Amino acid sequence: MTAQTSPVSSIDLISPDSRARIDDSIAKYPPERKQAAVMAALLIVQEQNGGWLSTELMDAVAEYLEMPPIAVYEVATFYTLYDLEPVGRHKVYVCTNIACMLCGCQVIVDHLQKKLGIELGETTADRKFTIKEAECLAACGGAPMFMVDGVYYENLTPAKVDEILDSLE
Amino acid sequence: MTTKPQPKTAEPPPSDLIAIEINGRSMQARKGSMVIQVADAAGIYIPRFCYHHKLSIVANCRMCLVEIERAPKPMPACATPVAAGMKVFTHSEAARYSQKAVMEFLLINHPLDCPICDQGGECPLQDLALGYGKDVSRYAENKRVVADLDIGPLIATDMTRCIHCTRCVRFGQEIAGIMELGATGRGEHMEIGTFIERSVSSELSGNVIDLCPVGALTSKPFRFTARAWELISHDAVSPHDCVGSNLNVQVRGRRVMRVLPRENEAINECWLSDRDRYSYEAVNSDERLQVPMIRINDRWTEVDWSTALEFAASGLARVIDQHGADQLGALAAPGSTLEEFYLLQKLMRSLGSGNVDHRLRQVDFSDDDVAPVYPWLGQSIADLENLEAVLLVGSYLRKDQPILGHRVRKAQLQGAQVMAINPVDYDFTYKLAHAVITNPLEMVKSLARVAKALSARKPGILAQKPEWFSALEPNPAERAIAEVLAGKDRSGVLLGNYAASHPQAAVIRVLAELVAEAADATLGQLAEGNGVGGWLGGCVPHRGPAGTAALSGRTTQAMIDEPRRGFVVLGAEPELDCLDGAGARRAMEAAEFVVMLAVFKPSSATTRALEYADVLLPLAPFTETEGTFVNCEGRAQSFANATRPLGEARPGWKILRVLGNHLGQSGFDYVSIDDVRAELDRGQIAPSGRLKHRALAQRLSGERPALARITEVPLYAVDSCVRRAPGLQRTTDNPPPPVRMNARQIEALGLDDAQQVTVRAGEGEATLPLLVDPRVPDGCVWVPGGYPQTFALAPHGATSVIKAAGA
Amino acid sequence: MNVIKRYLQSFLLFELLQGLMVTGRHLFARKITVQYPEECTPLSPRFRGLHALRRYPNGEERCIACKLCEAICPALAITIESQERADGTRRTTLYDIDLFKCIYCGFCEESCPVDAIVETRFFEFHFENRGENIITKQQLLTVGDKFEKQIAADRAADARYR
Repeated sequence: MTAQTSPVSSIDLISPDSRARIDDSIAKYPPERKQAAVMAALLIVQEQNGGWLSTELMDAVAEYLEMPPIAVYEVATFYTLYDLEPVGRHKVYVCTNIACMLCGCQVIVDHLQKKLGIELGETTADRKFTIKEAECLAACGGAPMFMVDGVYYENLTPAKVDEILDSLE
Repeated sequence: MTTKPQPKTAEPPPSDLIAIEINGRSMQARKGSMVIQVADAAGIYIPRFCYHHKLSIVANCRMCLVEIERAPKPMPACATPVAAGMKVFTHSEAARYSQKAVMEFLLINHPLDCPICDQGGECPLQDLALGYGKDVSRYAENKRVVADLDIGPLIATDMTRCIHCTRCVRFGQEIAGIMELGATGRGEHMEIGTFIERSVSSELSGNVIDLCPVGALTSKPFRFTARAWELISHDAVSPHDCVGSNLNVQVRGRRVMRVLPRENEAINECWLSDRDRYSYEAVNSDERLQVPMIRINDRWTEVDWSTALEFAASGLARVIDQHGADQLGALAAPGSTLEEFYLLQKLMRSLGSGNVDHRLRQVDFSDDDVAPVYPWLGQSIADLENLEAVLLVGSYLRKDQPILGHRVRKAQLQGAQVMAINPVDYDFTYKLAHAVITNPLEMVKSLARVAKALSARKPGILAQKPEWFSALEPNPAERAIAEVLAGKDRSGVLLGNYAASHPQAAVIRVLAELVAEAADATLGQLAEGNGVGGWLGGCVPHRGPAGTAALSGRTTQAMIDEPRRGFVVLGAEPELDCLDGAGARRAMEAAEFVVMLAVFKPSSATTRALEYADVLLPLAPFTETEGTFVNCEGRAQSFANATRPLGEARPGWKILRVLGNHLGQSGFDYVSIDDVRAELDRGQIAPSGRLKHRALAQRLSGERPALARITEVPLYAVDSCVRRAPGLQRTTDNPPPPVRMNARQIEALGLDDAQQVTVRAGEGEATLPLLVDPRVPDGCVWVPGGYPQTFALAPHGATSVIKAAGA
Repeated sequence: MNVIKRYLQSFLLFELLQGLMVTGRHLFARKITVQYPEECTPLSPRFRGLHALRRYPNGEERCIACKLCEAICPALAITIESQERADGTRRTTLYDIDLFKCIYCGFCEESCPVDAIVETRFFEFHFENRGENIITKQQLLTVGDKFEKQIAADRAADARYR
């Protein structure tokens, strides 16, 4: 081991490709308001990292956007779309808010849990699926609904859920 | 005897005022102010948790809901701007109903176990729950529990008690300037914390304890040891920096239990640096010297005061008899009181020796004769925040004088440009507009180049020594600094602790003066501790009290270079308090008779005082003595002792007074400290930051060594008290002293694979851990001073670093 | 007439008999004298005697060093020093009661949020040496351990009225 470095630079954790995409987002805001791109940047690095954010990656984003790390943690822990632990290949967000609840989302949730053998917020042992409870995803017209990998599936029934999940790799 | 800076008062023009009514009382309010501010000014109390007059307004606790006529809903008083004709009711039935409802919500997740909480008895939530809470909670469900993170040795956390007012978060963002605490998660899962376990590193972090309206953040050293109602509060002043922060020293029995800030808008506002807040731990330490001790035949014996003083007096008299009075020297710690400084120099001068100094960390004294009457800030502390451009020269302002650092940060937030010429790219809590980070010698040249860049405005400034400047060509950063300084109406140059200890400090002062003159800027000098008091008390070798003429003598450096036969050391630990620690030790060891007035027992691990001292007289620290500290703006603040001295310790002024009697000197018959003050009072002294005339005798630059040491004394090593405060010693600001160099330098020295290195400077040598630090410029090695591990190293000049043997 | 009556009364020792009647009545009446120390008067569950510090059934001391008893004590008889214990809880390092100062008002008991400091029914204590009047935390805990059953029963009996 060589001499210890006191300030560690973690920007290198962000791939050049992601950096280019983050720069695109930064460009949408005034130069002194770089931090505005934090949500986009977190999504980009989350994608790069296989769907979840490590503390080191959040630190990297903080450094890249010149923000205090804790401010990035605040954002990352606030929104459900960021995952702070390793997840499966497919993320299923089931809406359990009022409209979906009235339209029977509990059936969908129970079915998902039974089918995959995991609770909400957990990942299957084969790392294929992660199911999470989501707040309203603004598709109340098609309740009950869920979102898989960014795609909305509405008017769900257990049979439809089976069909959707089985079609995924 | 000193000036009182005039606070700036800004009376609003009448057009800015509107009439509103609170609880039926009509009053004038400034447009744009919030209801709670107007109510506070009128003495009408509205309950609140998240609102704090020094922090931004977020209105998230909702406790300050009030009824406003024609408003359909209760409004938060802290976030409702006043409007003409507004009628506010803070205690109406509707207002109280809302306030009670909010209190019920706040108490849902707050534990109701005040008896085990450290905040109990001084808790705003507890107090307000008495007025607005219900007797019995209606909430029977499980309460939220939050795991505690260890956030360092100073602040204890109990986050289950947190009510999410976010004062601590806003403090980090707005006041401390480094956001370390944040609110993670959301809704019921929201938690205040650092997210990943880490110590907070702000030098002002302790203030979150005062801000926290519940027991979530409390003082770790104070934790569970006393209750607010047991404590008696005494006014005091901090001795650790030149700010003179106002303190409330809280005492139970005879023991100092904690220190809190005393609000003084002109100095520390309502803040306190951690150093001032936690240094009290040292006054209760086991290392306190409690009984006078004398050394006879190399055996230390505890004796009574009269024996010790007689022994000290006869020893000093013997030195005078055998070698003459000029062989006597006195060194005073910069944290001594004005009265102690005065009596020490009076004693020395009446004995016939002018060898008295308090500037232990200064090595260049060549401009003593032209120096102003005391190192002045050049403005009041409050005015620092009105500056539009600030140039810091050799200053880690943020850590060295945290309160001044905060003022400058306030200026920066209002748009001021802060610039620096420093030997290290210190971490400031704001972006420096322009900075020159260079080796110590080049710093001087850089300042000269700034002066040259400014000479277009006032060519006269170069007139005295044109040959200095002829070969200099300012670089873009220096030009930019010059431009900003000259371009702003209110600009200031501040010379920091490093500048004062620089080997060419006098040249830096002259150049800073030239820069300030050419740019119409104020020039501020920062002294260590009560350094201003040292100058005014006459504890300098070339001048008497308040700048009067007096018997002159040798400076600290001269006393080290030509060791005296007898020494009186007031409150200092020569090895650690003198920049040239090795020299100080040599001088002490060469002396025949050394009298030490010491707060702490010398420890053989850090000092050889037990071998070279002949008398140890127990000195009372700042909490146990009465005295006066004069801060850098020239404000003299007298204080009484908060508690009686421990054991047989005595206030320094009394010791020096009786020592004067024992030495047969006249004029040492003071009955009280007021007699000393009366004798010392010279009326108003006009402060000036200006040198009397410019002595440019010294060469501009010396020979630049291949590797230069940068010596700066970190904030928790500045004086004997701070060095013994266990809480402060464990902070991240106080790691075991490392050797820091940048990667290029390490590679150039072939130390790539070294973890421990041996540093040689002067005759000293030390083996320390090596740190890669890109903030250090090329050709430099940054080794902090003030530590037992490093004092043997020469503070300036050529240094060599090699891989440690066996590492 | 009165003279004769008085004469006869005194002659026949009437007053004596009258007096003996009182004695006789008391001879057969229920006795109220308590043969202390062999016998004791009945004590109320609220009796305020010697202090004790209680423990929880698992042996953990109840006192949490909140210092309310120290604050309320009108005679300033209680002295407490507290510190954080290794497990992070707030505990006393010193709990002294000066029994000479104590006026047995029971405020300490009343102020205690965890029923730690109590006054027991035990009042037969004395001191033989100077300084013994100050009882320490250890002594108080020992008293508590000794009388715990009675203390608990007394608290239970009084619970309805508290």
